[in-house]
Amino acid sequence: MEEVKEKKKLHRGGRNLVLLGLGSILIALVTTSISLAVYHNSGDIYIDRSRPGFLPDEEEVKEDEDEKEDDYSFQKSGTLTADVLREYLEKLDIETKAIDGYKKPFDSSVLSDEKLGIPPAEEGES
Amino acid sequence: MRRFLVVFAILVVSLMTLPVSAIAKNQEEAISDHCESIRNSLKTIQKNDAKARVHLGGRYETILSRFLVPLNVRLVENNLPSADLVENQNDFADTKVVFTNDYIEYQQNLEELVAMDCKNQPAEFYEKLVKVRQKRKTMEQDVMKMRTLITKQINAVNNLMSKVK
Repeated sequence: MEEVKEKKKLHRGGRNLVLLGLGSILIALVTTSISLAVYHNSGDIYIDRSRPGFLPDEEEVKEDEDEKEDDYSFQKSGTLTADVLREYLEKLDIETKAIDGYKKPFDSSVLSDEKLGIPPAEEGES
Repeated sequence: MRRFLVVFAILVVSLMTLPVSAIAKNQEEAISDHCESIRNSLKTIQKNDAKARVHLGGRYETILSRFLVPLNVRLVENNLPSADLVENQNDFADTKVVFTNDYIEYQQNLEELVAMDCKNQPAEFYEKLVKVRQKRKTMEQDVMKMRTLITKQINAVNNLMSKVK
């Protein structure tokens, strides 16, 4: 009788272990799905360059390494003089040049028929 | 007479609801034939756009948080508040948000376009392409507006320089 009870206990313990395992997997799946949904809906997916397919090329990595970060920040306090503003404009000019150095971002002609290899419509064919 | 009118109305409604193809037959064929190469081009564009978004977004954030906001705070502290500079800071912050949201919308549409079956559905593919072009045009305008606001800031600070010692 004792032996049967012991066997039943063991069986129940094994079943509970399986249930625990399945529960953990289910929770992991649900939380991962929620995370992915947030990642997608927030738009972070579109700027995540470590995403497969977006991985930077070797040259780009070198470029990034070459770019030295200037941690200049205009002070919120202190007297304002022409010299201070001159320095402000010089530093702002660095940022402006970096923006202008990016040639034609989101240029609309990139998606033109011509660029995508779609021929002009032939008359009477539409 | 009444029967004629009913038949006529049905005909008109049927004609109006017929799908109108905005694409010519030769274009449909070209899209089908070169589907893979068009999709590859779109993927390259997508990748370059992500790079542009990260690059520009970072610069815009730097300009806002390290130049525009601190200058206005310092101007107030020096009893020299400038309505133009405050307005420019607000416009810049607002346009930056618009730029971010427009980019998400544009990329969602571009991603849907890349996933489409252009081989078997060239007309639908082209229709989506036209939509993506409009979204991209909006992005181009956002970037131009941000650049205009930077120029406005530079001009305003130049004016300010003549007012201080």
